[in-house]
Formats: sequence, structure tokens, C-alpha cells
Amino acid sequence: MNRKRALIADTFCLTKRRRCAADSVTGESQADIRSSLQYLVTLFSRKLFNDSLPPVVLKHQLYSLHNDKTSVDKQVNELRETGELLMFQLGFDSEAFALVFAEDFRAKVLQGEAGRGTLGTVEKFLAKLIPSCSDLSFNKEKMLKEFLFTDSEITQLVKSGVLTVRDAGSWWLSIPNSGKFIKYFIKGRKAVLGMVKKSKYGEILQTELEGRRTTSQVKFQMKYHIHDIIGAELVECIQTTSGTLLRYVDGNVN
Amino acid sequence: MLSFLYARQSGLDDPVRLRRAESTRRVLSLELNHNRDVDRIHGNGINTLDIEVIDGRYMLSGGSDGVIVIYDLENNSKKPQYTCKAICTVGRSVCRHVHKFSVETVQWYPHDTGMFVSSSFDKTMKVWDTETLKPAEEFQFDGNVYCHHMSPVARKHSLVAVGTKDPKVQLCDLKSGSRIHILQGHRGEILSVRWSPRYDHILATASTDSRVHIWDVRRASGSLFTLDQHNGDKSKTSSEAVNTAHNGRVNGLCFTADGLHLLTTGTDDRMRLWNSATGENTLVNYGKVVNESRKGLKFTVSRGCSPEFVFVPCGSSVAVYGLHSGELITMLRGHYNNVDCCEFHPDYQELYSGGKDCNILAWVPVLRQPDIEDEETNSKRGGTQAAINPAFEDAWSSDED
Repeated sequence: MNRKRALIADTFCLTKRRRCAADSVTGESQADIRSSLQYLVTLFSRKLFNDSLPPVVLKHQLYSLHNDKTSVDKQVNELRETGELLMFQLGFDSEAFALVFAEDFRAKVLQGEAGRGTLGTVEKFLAKLIPSCSDLSFNKEKMLKEFLFTDSEITQLVKSGVLTVRDAGSWWLSIPNSGKFIKYFIKGRKAVLGMVKKSKYGEILQTELEGRRTTSQVKFQMKYHIHDIIGAELVECIQTTSGTLLRYVDGNVN
Repeated sequence: MLSFLYARQSGLDDPVRLRRAESTRRVLSLELNHNRDVDRIHGNGINTLDIEVIDGRYMLSGGSDGVIVIYDLENNSKKPQYTCKAICTVGRSVCRHVHKFSVETVQWYPHDTGMFVSSSFDKTMKVWDTETLKPAEEFQFDGNVYCHHMSPVARKHSLVAVGTKDPKVQLCDLKSGSRIHILQGHRGEILSVRWSPRYDHILATASTDSRVHIWDVRRASGSLFTLDQHNGDKSKTSSEAVNTAHNGRVNGLCFTADGLHLLTTGTDDRMRLWNSATGENTLVNYGKVVNESRKGLKFTVSRGCSPEFVFVPCGSSVAVYGLHSGELITMLRGHYNNVDCCEFHPDYQELYSGGKDCNILAWVPVLRQPDIEDEETNSKRGGTQAAINPAFEDAWSSDED
């Protein structure tokens, strides 16, 4: 109801729009997404992976913090164009994309590679990748001709975990040591959804869910998982007088 | 509102502006109204609705029992309480030409109400004469007919595009009765076909092979282009999913009223908005649009409002989204079972939706409530209008006090 009244007001009230035309949209919005990303990064548990992974945030977690999905997508793409943010295809869901800050990624990868023979190749790859390229996957032509890598160098990159096999002759960009992350993430998501489903009437207040004790299956912070299930629309968010209510949506794949 | 009227009166504003603003306000206040009802004739779910373009007075509906009904939507009684009566029915017992299985699509002839076309799972498409309710022409096909569409703007041709289980799109000519024109290119069943409301030779088809093709029927060689959800960025998906419009079956197509944009829905629970001239994905994110339909989904876009709205059946309610912003405005709840089709009446800004619960619901804009001032002055002037309960009437105090 609130959105409808706001839209009706928008259509009929011209003067207010003229006055606030100056102080809106562009400058604020980029800063908005960056601050949301930084907030979500704080929810990521570093110690769990012995500090070998950069903090990973999922793109749909941003949808739970901001109303307008289209503008979130646009701003994420802008940040990727400038080379500040990197996006990865995680593999368990064609729509789930992981976002990592470029400096974090570079720092962790080089930290992981320190002392290994593949360090040089990886450095070269990162140098080519970070400022200019915003692709999610690479095929053989691109690697050989554009980036001027040899076959053995490509093998080294796959071994170091920066590239994962997609199919014959093409590779996904990936985060080294992210297998454990994906495993814990999927288990945790299933466990949290199970908590919502088992509650009376299949719904639970968000504050109550945050306060619940996490089972051994849930390795991440509860809030991280809650942003994930809201953003991926696996639960329905209903505003009530006692706060936000999360209701399990039937027909989920999980 | 008053400022709009004044601006219109003094010529400051374009006449269209007031009309658009009021249409938008009406669409935003759509609600189920107990004054408006549609006759319940169907004994089984309703698959398709169509309102004729000329007057906006008659509505066709096709049901899963093979029955086709015509309703009169106009309110000629002077009372606000009105049931849209069914004028005539092509029923099972009455007519021996009735479809044997479920009617999937019905459409009025775009230029007058003398004729309508219906297609059904009994593998036929029938062209009916409205006067006699007998089929004037019948086309036989090899597989179930999922959908058909006639171009709303065509003057030079009267082609009906038919989508069946066969991956070839067939064009039937109403003038000559021929059906030799075939469009090849899909690899799966065709779930939805739609002509562009802007050009009479542009056709869009959607299929279970996750692709949407845009055709120019004057060209002999293949489609103009296919819609690619990643806009050519081959790196985003796995290699099999390259050049697809959705990650699942594409089962709904709708052009916007000006024909510049095309909306598609798919079983990957997504709805996408495309630029119909270039085939570019505008990347408007509507979120999860629940879609479990195994056959075509019929949804519609509003006309004459700004911003435009999309009405999509989602489970047992109709979801209303802003067309270019992608935000969910509201969910219209009222049906008891899945909603299969919805149709927008542009003149009155009303929405009619039909579903498996055999009901057609009319969503009518809520009128402005009369001001409280008017009510008070009425009771002072009137006095005969006894709004007071007789138990509270003052019958014992005298005027002298």
C-alpha cells in the first residue's frame, strides 16, 4: 500500500520533484552500494578459512538492502568497469554471482601463491585482469592471443585455482580455495531455510531468527545467511507491526 | 488534481498529461469490487480472455472444457451493482462444432466483432462467425495448438500465426485459406506467438528451447534475430546456454502498447524487458516472477499510463510491476486457484483475470470517496435523511430548553 500511495503522490505532486531534483541520485548511489558492500564484508567470517580467502559477498545479498534491483545491478556494473570490484560465477546456481573487492582478491591470491613456482604467472594474469577486463570466463583464443599466455602457463593458472574448467577450451574466473566456502555456504543456507520452514506456520520474525542459536551446520554469521535468503527471494518478507516477518516460500528447489 | 485541471484549462499542459496522470492513479487503486461481477458459465478453468478493440464492450473467454463464452461488459442498468452477462455461448450440448478439448487461445478479429478465432488442444483452429456461432473455417494441425495471434494493425494481410507442438511456426491466411507459409528456426514446441503492434510484418515467437525469435514475414530466409539475455557477452553463462532468452522454457510474450519493447517470461522465474528493434536486453530486474506454467502464460501491459504497468499472473494472484523500474507495486489477491490469464481494458483502466477456479474477476479502480463536508451539509439541509438510529432520536426534550 505504501508504495502505491507514494507513486500516486509522485504523479500528482510536481513541485516537490522540481525542488529535490538537485540533491538526488547519482552522487549518493555509488557510495550507497560501496557502503552496503563493506557492511556485508564485515559479516563474512574470515577466521573460518584461516584467512586464505578474501571476503566474499553475493550479489543478491545487496537486493535485500536496497529496494531497486535494476539500479543495484547498474551500480555493480559501474564498479566492475572501474576495476574496483570483481564478479565470479559460483557454479551452484546460474544466477548466483560472488563479488570481491579487487585489492582484497589480489592480496589474498598473492599471499596464497607466495613461495610457489606459479607466482610469476599469477601475478602477470592479475595485472592483465584487474584494471581492464570484466569477463567472467575466458576461452582459449582470448588467453592465447589477447593475453599472450602459453598453454603451460594456463595449466599453472588452473593449478593455482584462479581459473576453473568450464568446458573444453574455456575457463571460469574463480577464487582459489573457494570450494570450502561454497560447501559451507550451501549447507548453511539449507539449515537456515530449514529453521524458517520448521517454525510454526512456516514463518518467523527476523529478529527472532537472528537471536536463535546456530546449529553446527551453519558456519557463517546468521545475518549473512539472512541477507542471502531474502535477496534470493527464497523467503517472503512481510512488514508487520512487530518488525519484518520471513515466510518460507513453497516450491523452492532446496 | 485541481492543479492539473487548471493547467489543462489554461493551456499550460498538454491534454494527454491529465489523462495519463488520472489513468495512472486509477491503475494504482485497482481493487476487487463487490459491485462488479462476471457471469459464471465455465465449468472448468478459464485459459484465455480477449476484449475487442473497437468498442471495448465484448469479451471472449475460452475454457478448459472447450466452451467459448461472449460477455457484454457495458453497464446499461443505472445501478452501480452490475453483472457482466454472457450473451452467447458455444457450449458442449448446444453446438456440435464445439472444440473437443481445452481451448487455449481466443482472439477477436482485430477490425470488427463479426468474427473470432479460437485454437485448442484438439489440434484445430476454428474461425467462427459471431452471428450464427458456426465455424466458417477450420484448420487442422498435427499437434496440440498452444497459441495463435492475428496482427492488430495489419491492413495488407490477414495472416494468423499459429504455434503448435511442431517446431515450425505456421502462418495461415484467412483470405485464401492457405497454410503453406512456414517459419523455421525453433527446435522445440512453440508456446507463444505475438505480432508487433507497431509493424504489421514483425512477429515474435517463444519456444521450449529457451529461445525467442523475431521474424520479418516478408523475408524468406530465417529470423531477423534471437533475443540473447546476456547481450552477446558469452562469458556469463555455460556454453550450452549461449544465445538463449531465458534459462528455461519461454512461455509468455507481450509487446508494450507502442511496440517498442517486448516482455518475455520464462520458467526460470524471470521476466525480461527487451528493446524490440535491436533485441537488446534492457536488464531491468523484476526479481523472482514465479512461473510454473507448462503451457503459455498470458499476461498484459497497461496502456495510457505513465509509468506503464505489467500485470503478470503469479500463482493464485496477479502481480503488478512497474514496467521500466522493475519494482513490485502490488499483488492482486482474490482468486482461489491458479490464475491463467489477464486482460486490461484501456478505456476504463479495469483488469479482468481468469483462472482455474472458473471465475473471471473484475478489478475496478476505487472511486474517490465523497468528501465529509458534503455529507454533513446534506444531512443539515435534508433532515429527512434519517442517519440517526431511532433509538437515539431525541423525542422527549422540548424546544424551549
